Amino acid sequence: MPLYTLGAGQVAAGVKSREFSAEEYIQQLLERIEKVEPKVNAFVTINKGAIEHARTIDKKIRDGEQAGPLAGVAVSIKDNICTKGIRTTCASRMLESFVPPYDATVVTRLQDAGAIVIGKANLDEFAMGSTTEFSRYGTTRNPWDISRVPGGSSGGSAASVAAQECAASLGSDAGGSVRCPASFCSVVGMKPTYGLISRYGLVSYANSLEQVGPIGRTVSDVVSVLNAIAGADENDHTTVGGKPVYTLQERKGLRVGLVREFIEDTDPAVAKMILRAMDTLEGQGCKCKETSLESVAYALASYYTIATAEASSNLARYDNVRYGFDMSPEGYEWNSYFAKARSSFGEEAKRRIITGSYVLSSGYYGKYYLKAQQARSLLKDELKALFKSCDVLIGPTMPILPFKIGEKIDDPLKMYLVDIDTVIANLAGMPAISVPAGFVDGLPVGLQLMADEFQEQTILDAAYLFEQAANVRGSPEL
Amino acid sequence: MMVTKEQVKHLGWLARIELSDAELERYTEQIEGIVKYLDKLDAMPLQQVKPIATRKKFADLRPDEPAEFEGDALGTKYRKDGFVKGPRMA
Repeated sequence: MPLYTLGAGQVAAGVKSREFSAEEYIQQLLERIEKVEPKVNAFVTINKGAIEHARTIDKKIRDGEQAGPLAGVAVSIKDNICTKGIRTTCASRMLESFVPPYDATVVTRLQDAGAIVIGKANLDEFAMGSTTEFSRYGTTRNPWDISRVPGGSSGGSAASVAAQECAASLGSDAGGSVRCPASFCSVVGMKPTYGLISRYGLVSYANSLEQVGPIGRTVSDVVSVLNAIAGADENDHTTVGGKPVYTLQERKGLRVGLVREFIEDTDPAVAKMILRAMDTLEGQGCKCKETSLESVAYALASYYTIATAEASSNLARYDNVRYGFDMSPEGYEWNSYFAKARSSFGEEAKRRIITGSYVLSSGYYGKYYLKAQQARSLLKDELKALFKSCDVLIGPTMPILPFKIGEKIDDPLKMYLVDIDTVIANLAGMPAISVPAGFVDGLPVGLQLMADEFQEQTILDAAYLFEQAANVRGSPEL
Repeated sequence: MMVTKEQVKHLGWLARIELSDAELERYTEQIEGIVKYLDKLDAMPLQQVKPIATRKKFADLRPDEPAEFEGDALGTKYRKDGFVKGPRMA
């Protein structure tokens, strides 16, 4: 079996037992990347230092030193997460030459655990999008059908894992950006509780909503990555104390609630698959029931108000003076220079900045932003009440199947509506995971599981139980 | 809620983003559609609901002390006498 097919756990075990070297493994992966990238386009940048890093891991093992639980494991990092010495573009012209002088905390922690950064994964510009079509570096294509979108905004992350160009990846999720592409690419992707993982070094888009999240081909790989990166960080004051350790366990008797509203406006083929997933969980000893979450009706309006408002303030900092693309300040007046330089933001980023400026305008603040924050409270209270009688809530991750590239690009509202099931977890700050549920006409469907704040172990238990029973396996032919 | 071209042009100016005529045309129509959707919030029974807020207290924050990066944190080639060159103020 080629080494690039191995999961994170298998790689670390193989490297540590010297069954194969980290260098051989990385070499095979680089060959794999060269072969499939023309089709998939999951990467913005390949890390030229990956082989050298692998050699240092091999040396550590030869010298009998500790190489870490992820020894030699290749990970891709979404290109909005800072990597020291490797450019971090956010798939934007505004940061095309930005080389961070520091690593994000999550990158430091992965490397401390022995992981190797293989490259920087493509995304929608500044993580704004659901398809990875809004990237300056071209669209990433779905490895299961390259005429279709991989989801987004962490489309490069999910596609690189599905296409076996790395064992795992880090994405970021403000409204479903890890779970949507995980669902469309048939891999596992998790959005942890707000505050579980440091955002230090994650380029901010909607900072009250977003979290870094792990993506892997199995629940087990997601657990390994989560264990490496989770826990408090003094550089991010929104992180919460402690260093949790998650395990893989099959837990029986979980109380599962299927959210009726998640199924109602869903593609019937997807809905059918989710009902089948509920049967599977029931067959595994879960107590399943149908339940209702009324505030779903307002979730998307609340999300897009808050996300665009935060985007407009977070992106105000890009003036192209201290770093950016090559545009001489000579001959420009201050304001006209900024307006000219900032017109280089892409289509969706500009649309969100202006929409965000609109909802924050004087006179509209109370009508939109304040109400959106109230809606968020209401949603969270309703969820908290539901979690008294349910351990996990389930539904489809995406209400539709992966669609054709270009199909929704000219209709922003239609594009936003596909996020309806994922934004809930971000608004409430709660953890959610997408696991492969099966295929409809060869296209992946993801099952979303959600739990109360800091109940990551519960959703991992449920996801693992489902994964073992459903046995959705396989990799795309590329 | 009606969104006008003049409003979008003004918002573009406030956000310091130069918009072409075609962009202005397109964004006005699209943002009007988006804002109409956001108006769903009007239908919510929110009178008694408090907006969501952070649990963290300011006292929990670490001291705000400057720290230096190793090497060059700046990515521009437009420099003079150890300073970054920007556009003129007026």
